Amino acid sequence: MIADTDIADIGSGLVNPQIYTDPDLYQLELKNVFGRSWLFLAHDSQLPKAGSFVQTYMGEDPVLVVRQRDGSVKAFLNQCRHRGMRICRAEAGTNRAFTCSYHGWAYDLEGNLINVPAEQIAYRDELDKKNWGALKVPRIACYKGFYFGCWSEDTPEFEDYLGDMIYYFDAVVDRWDSGLELVTGTTKWVIDCNWKFASEQFASDMYHVPISHASAFIALADDPAQQMSPPYEAPGRQFAGNGHGSGSVWLPQFVLPDGATGPAYTDWLEENKEEVFRRIGVERAHKVHAHNTIFPNFSWLGQSFTMRVWQPRGPGQVEVWAWTYLPKGAPDKVKDSVRQGTQRTFSPAGVFETDDGENWTEIQRVLRGYKARQNLFNMQMGLGHEERDVHGLPGRSNSVYAETAARGFYQRWSDLVRGLSWAQITELEQARRAAEEVQPA
Amino acid sequence: MTASIDDAREAAATSKAAATVPAFRTIDAETQHTVEQFLYAEAELLDQHRYHEWLELFAEDVHYWAPTRMTRTIRERDREIAARGESAFIEDDLHFLKGRVRRLTSGVSWSEEPPSRTRRLITNVRARPRDDGSLDVACNFYVYRSRLERHQDWFVGERFDVLRPAPSSQTGYPFLIADRTIVLDQSTLLAPSISVFL
Repeated sequence: MIADTDIADIGSGLVNPQIYTDPDLYQLELKNVFGRSWLFLAHDSQLPKAGSFVQTYMGEDPVLVVRQRDGSVKAFLNQCRHRGMRICRAEAGTNRAFTCSYHGWAYDLEGNLINVPAEQIAYRDELDKKNWGALKVPRIACYKGFYFGCWSEDTPEFEDYLGDMIYYFDAVVDRWDSGLELVTGTTKWVIDCNWKFASEQFASDMYHVPISHASAFIALADDPAQQMSPPYEAPGRQFAGNGHGSGSVWLPQFVLPDGATGPAYTDWLEENKEEVFRRIGVERAHKVHAHNTIFPNFSWLGQSFTMRVWQPRGPGQVEVWAWTYLPKGAPDKVKDSVRQGTQRTFSPAGVFETDDGENWTEIQRVLRGYKARQNLFNMQMGLGHEERDVHGLPGRSNSVYAETAARGFYQRWSDLVRGLSWAQITELEQARRAAEEVQPA
Repeated sequence: MTASIDDAREAAATSKAAATVPAFRTIDAETQHTVEQFLYAEAELLDQHRYHEWLELFAEDVHYWAPTRMTRTIRERDREIAARGESAFIEDDLHFLKGRVRRLTSGVSWSEEPPSRTRRLITNVRARPRDDGSLDVACNFYVYRSRLERHQDWFVGERFDVLRPAPSSQTGYPFLIADRTIVLDQSTLLAPSISVFL
């Protein structure tokens, strides 16, 4: 297996590509990264009433996320405590209880074991059901309608875990008085690449857009003069903190023509922009709207209304779970145009999305080579040019064309996967920040 | 006989009770033949990357839609295929289909440059006249994609088209595709992208 020393200083900008292929390291990721981070579970709108449930994953562990009768949301491992069968095999629905289809052990909405067939005959009434409930996700945080779960008691509280990323998360989740809703249904697909390529790119990579997505701009505009991404010189910033990342080219004006959603959306946005400005401020509305990742695997694109979880499926595969999110209070025709715009740009058939998968699968395939796996990758863009709390943006940031957030993402990943405690990680972060302050700007 | 997406939904919703959609019905042999030849011609245009000719097969008001689907229990199976307004892989109008073709033929569309090799198998064609003079046509499809050195994908499912009679002097084809619903059989798509037309 790859040695700790190969990844300890990954934040300095050299990537050993075995982190994308090593099967032993992958098992450590499931334990130490996905087992000790806050992971997105569900949004309020997916769980409309008591008994509503969705099945999702925390890493590779299937969990049921269930609306309780008191309105709260709880989650438990979708694994029968008797002999390990998947308790519920539907992806979503409404239930009063969950009955395992192997021997019939039944669990209530919280995951408590409530019925065992032939309890007297088979178990002679010696089974203490309260000890055999499904494994509950011990910590659930609800942030503005978004539920996150965490297995570990040592992980900082959700808002501390976000740190300065709250400012960037709020730019999307706190944007409208009526809040957000997810379009019904999850779009799921499989890409043969390591999950980190995708998650890292959404944290940190504006640089690929003009090249990888050149053809998307051609699809979106009839007029050849409009068929290009913003120029490299356009101002923008990339934020990095606690492993999270966010980056945007600043909007020259708040409402711009949009070839994906069309005027139904942009006219409505023009009419309602004061609401956004009042809630998140004029400056944030112009400067925070594009790519984002909450470590480790929850990402969204503000301009494109897509949210997704990058579900790890072994070192060489990721399952993408994507949702379109909408301003809940918008008229139906606005919602229709936003939904169509997202499906046309960021779905497995989307004119942007298809090209991302092409890059990641080819990188992964090249890494079958021995020499290819010894060849360190360059993640040094903008190294040493970071600044803190500048341009009205909280936290550490750099030019939008930088790999600051990638370095931050992999440093947090490395600290966790190597098994450092959260207390040690917090201490290390403080030391890194102190070191950063003595360096010349 | 199932010929439209509404039939398929009704069959799913009523599978607990007696199905109301009859499973056997015939249509005259000439119509059946013409519909089949039209669908084969369309498949040929796509397999040969003749996208501009392919675009001429669509009505101006076409709705081109591929809803996602979800694993549901029998009790909730009528909600298995996403409804209008819910999640979809594709939801295009003719304007956007033209944009996709502009992209595919641009030379910088990296998920199709170099282009995939595709083979479309269209089978189980079922047609039924509609009151407005057009046809509801259902078919099964199997689209094989071979890509680059050794990548391959299978897109398998059922397609529901509304074919509107067109004066053949206009396009050389007997129909315009006025509506298309593509229902894939996978809930989790086991392909990295749908960069080809279905």
